[in-house]
Amino acid sequence: MPDHAILTPEEHRDLRIRTDRSDALGDAVMACITVPSEFRRVQTHYPILFQRDQTRDGFTALAMFGFEAGENLFLEGGRWDARYRPLAIDSQPFLVGRGPEGSSLRQVHIDMASPRIGAGEGMRVFDDTGRPTPFLERIADQLRALDEDYVAATAFFAALQRHDLLEPLTLDVTLEDGSKNRLVGYHVIDEDRLEALDPASVAELHAEGHLLPIFMALASLGQIGDLVARKNRRLAHG
Amino acid sequence: MTVSDMQTDGLDMDRAITSIVIVGGGTAGWLAACLIAARADRDAEHPLQVTLIESPDVATIGVGEGTWPTMRRTLERIGISETEFLLVCDAAFKQGSRFDGWRTGAADDRYLHPFTTPAEAAARDLASAWSDSGLAFAEALCAQHAVCSQDLAPRQRAMPDYAGTLNYAYHLDAGKFAALLARHATERLGVRHLRDHVVGVDGAADGDIAAVRTRASGRIEGDLFLDCTGHAALLIGEHYGVGTIDRGRELFNDRALAVQLPVAADSPIASQTNATAHAAGWIWDIGLPARRGIGCVYSSAHLDDDAAADTLTRYLRATAPDAPLPDFRPLRFQSRHRDRFWHRNCLAIGLSAGFLEPLEASAIVLVELSVDALLDNFPATRRTMDLHAARFNTLFRYRWDRIVEFLKLHYVLSQRDEPYWRDHRDPGSIPPRLAELLQLWADQPPSHADFPMVDEIFPAASYQYVLYGMGFSAPRRTPVRTGARGAADMLVQQVDRHGRMLAAALPTNRAYLDALRHAMTSATMETRA
Repeated sequence: MPDHAILTPEEHRDLRIRTDRSDALGDAVMACITVPSEFRRVQTHYPILFQRDQTRDGFTALAMFGFEAGENLFLEGGRWDARYRPLAIDSQPFLVGRGPEGSSLRQVHIDMASPRIGAGEGMRVFDDTGRPTPFLERIADQLRALDEDYVAATAFFAALQRHDLLEPLTLDVTLEDGSKNRLVGYHVIDEDRLEALDPASVAELHAEGHLLPIFMALASLGQIGDLVARKNRRLAHG
Repeated sequence: MTVSDMQTDGLDMDRAITSIVIVGGGTAGWLAACLIAARADRDAEHPLQVTLIESPDVATIGVGEGTWPTMRRTLERIGISETEFLLVCDAAFKQGSRFDGWRTGAADDRYLHPFTTPAEAAARDLASAWSDSGLAFAEALCAQHAVCSQDLAPRQRAMPDYAGTLNYAYHLDAGKFAALLARHATERLGVRHLRDHVVGVDGAADGDIAAVRTRASGRIEGDLFLDCTGHAALLIGEHYGVGTIDRGRELFNDRALAVQLPVAADSPIASQTNATAHAAGWIWDIGLPARRGIGCVYSSAHLDDDAAADTLTRYLRATAPDAPLPDFRPLRFQSRHRDRFWHRNCLAIGLSAGFLEPLEASAIVLVELSVDALLDNFPATRRTMDLHAARFNTLFRYRWDRIVEFLKLHYVLSQRDEPYWRDHRDPGSIPPRLAELLQLWADQPPSHADFPMVDEIFPAASYQYVLYGMGFSAPRRTPVRTGARGAADMLVQQVDRHGRMLAAALPTNRAYLDALRHAMTSATMETRA
């Protein structure tokens, strides 16, 4: 049961956040949300797949960590085996909060029910004088980027749909022990349609800043092989 | 004539040195035993045999509750895990020393000598960055200042043993430390332990020690004898009559009153030794998880015992108003050392080699350095031993001299007006080399050029911390530039940012040590369940 609170130096002066990585701290997830502006960094480690929203009128981009719910193949013995973690998971247990009704102000919120709320150990959020620590400054930067790009992502997916560049993906993976894993319900960039785009459409996508994330998302599919290899390693080592 | 007599007659200079006999079972003896046994090559043609003779009659002194950062390397070499060491010795982290009241005695008179060296830059650029900053030297140039001022640990528990984000040492319970070393040496490192009283020394014809005679176990022969018998100095002093050099002319303190106060379970644990100056000496204050060790060090020529007791009482009343006053344990000592430490086949390690007043906690580190020096240049045969001994004596005479000078530096820059402090500024009491350095440092900061040995006991950075902490002025500009202009200005900002980062990331000493104890207790319970 989440317990969201507005982060303030008065309330959270001595708060510490655990930054180690484990199942118990909520890292056992198969994917997290990612935004187009970080596709370039995400695709160095993770496949990026698109998923239709619950309302079915839009899409969300996901960075994939595993093949089934609760499976994070990057999590190994208390550490996350990759140089980059997507903003959405790296900034937990903090969230972007909206200011009072009608205000464009964004606040840093925190989920006080998160297992990351530490006792004596972990990263401090404020120092003794109530000044934000460099740790919180970094988190605030991450939340700002997420918030801005989550809005921008709507335009990105609208453009993909306008140019009919999304195709459903069904991925069947046979592992070394013969077992089969299947990823269904995701979408990826339709490479054939992308190649067939007319110059005016390409120029339009480029002008709107969508071309780079499109190619990064395409490139990220190469990481599916890495994910399969991780799964095979895990099976081999029990 | 027996075979062993023939060997000790000096007829066999090429025999391998294999049997090491350590006389004395205090911190020095057990530390030496562990270090030697841990580094002994068990597959050697003639493997080392280590025997430690501990007298059941003699109480150990338990020198020093503070170590140097060298102790991390020592413990790692010996093969004791950091967790075991911290828990068993009731130890805490030490990140430096804080000096209160040394300059003027005013309420805001304090400076820190942290173990981490200042930000990386040419000494002259450092000094100028500091003097422009308006901050204290350590505060401007070392992030450890921020960490110490908030009672934080130098590391996180997830880090590998003996690694830290900052340089650190330990405060420990010396009695428990010696017991841990003894157990480790005998149970895990194969050191032979004889509980017996040494009643005499058998000399060989060539002047070496052939054996020590014990009350119950007879003669214990050996190739090399380590005198770890403390002030008694049974071998180097009583048997060989090697003289001592008195350093009391430079370092006046010769007495102490020591006391231990239990502390509340959730009280903060200081990150450094606090040394508070008084009219004729200073008071140490060392925080462990369960107690504080406090002691009033003084010069009996300047302060009588009752006045010293009053001084300590006032300090205790001020810093622990609610604690009942325990009895004070009086200690006497002299600052002096041997004029040679290694004579023939006898090497003095620990208090038998010498002792200087407890400022900067030099006792245990000298034991570590002595054993390291022995092992790094181990005499394979008796033939080369005298050459090694001569080198060792030169090196350690250099080191004792440097320590004396560095300790003296803490006193000579004081502006305090009591007779004790005025006497410390008497030119006749200042080692000539230190007097020369002080002249140089008016024009240039302490640098490698002043301390040219590869293994200097105190680096130039330590002199900078004390010199500028005591209010010595930054050097004047000279016509010769060093680093790039402007680079130094960034330093102070970088240090500030680094300090804030560390302060956010590091737990308090109390939180760290409690979590360690808690984790160990639950692990033990799981094992039992």
